[in-house]
Amino acid sequence: MFYIHQSSCISHQPTFNDVDLEDLKPSENNLIHAIEPKYENVPLGQLRRMGRALRMGVGTCMKLLGTHNVNGLLIGTANGGIEDSIMFLNQIHDYEEGRLTPTAFVQSTYNAIAGMVGMITVNHGYNATHVHRALAFENVVLDAAMLLKENLDNSYLIGGVDEISVKNHRLVTLAGWYRKEPVSNFDLYKGDAAGTLSGEGAAMFIVSNKSEGATAKLKNLKMVNSNDEKFVQEQLSLFVKENPGKIDLFLQGENGDNRLLKYYTTCESLMSGETTVARFKHAFGEFQTVTALALWLSANVLQTQKIAQHFIKKNSATEFNRILIYNNYQGMQHSFMLVERV
Amino acid sequence: MDREQEKLQLKQHIIKYLNLLHVTPEEITDDMPMFREGLGLDSIDSIEMVVMMEREYGLKIENPKDGRDILQTINSMMDFIEKGRAAKAAEEKA
Repeated sequence: MFYIHQSSCISHQPTFNDVDLEDLKPSENNLIHAIEPKYENVPLGQLRRMGRALRMGVGTCMKLLGTHNVNGLLIGTANGGIEDSIMFLNQIHDYEEGRLTPTAFVQSTYNAIAGMVGMITVNHGYNATHVHRALAFENVVLDAAMLLKENLDNSYLIGGVDEISVKNHRLVTLAGWYRKEPVSNFDLYKGDAAGTLSGEGAAMFIVSNKSEGATAKLKNLKMVNSNDEKFVQEQLSLFVKENPGKIDLFLQGENGDNRLLKYYTTCESLMSGETTVARFKHAFGEFQTVTALALWLSANVLQTQKIAQHFIKKNSATEFNRILIYNNYQGMQHSFMLVERV
Repeated sequence: MDREQEKLQLKQHIIKYLNLLHVTPEEITDDMPMFREGLGLDSIDSIEMVVMMEREYGLKIENPKDGRDILQTINSMMDFIEKGRAAKAAEEKA
């Protein structure tokens, strides 16, 4: 598909400046909030109007675009600036559709991140935002791969971002997808309960067809929509056959929700005894574009040849050359990504 | 509330509405230009301030051209607020 050259990530762990994944940072009040850095490359006048998703998205993009020029920007987000959207809707109600300001509306649209980055960097190239819920980032990957097939010498900035919204979190908790009882991310996989911990974050990548100077290669991607774990397993089996070779690390999105465990165990059963199995949602939380952070983690593991102990479920491999990422969201939207060492 | 206290409250509203997290009310002087070289505000901020005037003081800036003069400094905004209040009071009396 394409090579990953540079990446940046904002999450609950120290992933932005000095990356340190050894010591897991604890969740607070069942939330895995991103630690926002000081945004040095974003104009202050614009920063003050931005909500969390916009700040994280623009901040991660600008870290990469400070030194790099790209031919287009592709962002995936399931909810965009949902907190500002809710704020704007409340203002419509409170002020009876009058006395409304544009900021909360303008800043909360899905395409505000790619649009804002395009304006700051004066990038007139391809500018797209994909909003396919939990496959938003995967569709960004697919779009970038197609663009790179047509434009061999181009490079693109791709990424995924979503934020925790207090009000939306309440609704999703009522729907039963987040834990109601207090639980720490240290104990996310223990016990037998429904629901998980909510997370947020952003991860951006500069990608191209050039292998020189790359940190990893995204070899292939597959998306599946199904709630049948046997069908998902069959699709993974086909994906593995289409991309033969030893899988050193199976990085899966288990999230402590007992209703979703069957998908991960059936897929994990396809891996050989030589494959290390690792999980990432205790570190980043559950959100629709978390696979962007899983890809960032994979690129980091391939480059450093290290993975912190708290990620490991089953330890086998000593060298990491090929990583298979499997994630599913609420038992319906599944994706497989194969990442290789360069 | 005297004019000085009113000015302080106006500055606090501006900071809140425009999310000027790095600015304190003391840093905004009464004759500091709000736009460009002064506080560095822009056209989106001016819309926010027009809405602020309406929500916090019940005063509408009907003509956008008037907005340029009204929103120039803290002093000019205070003049507009005081004139607006006086006009309202006169209306109520009549």
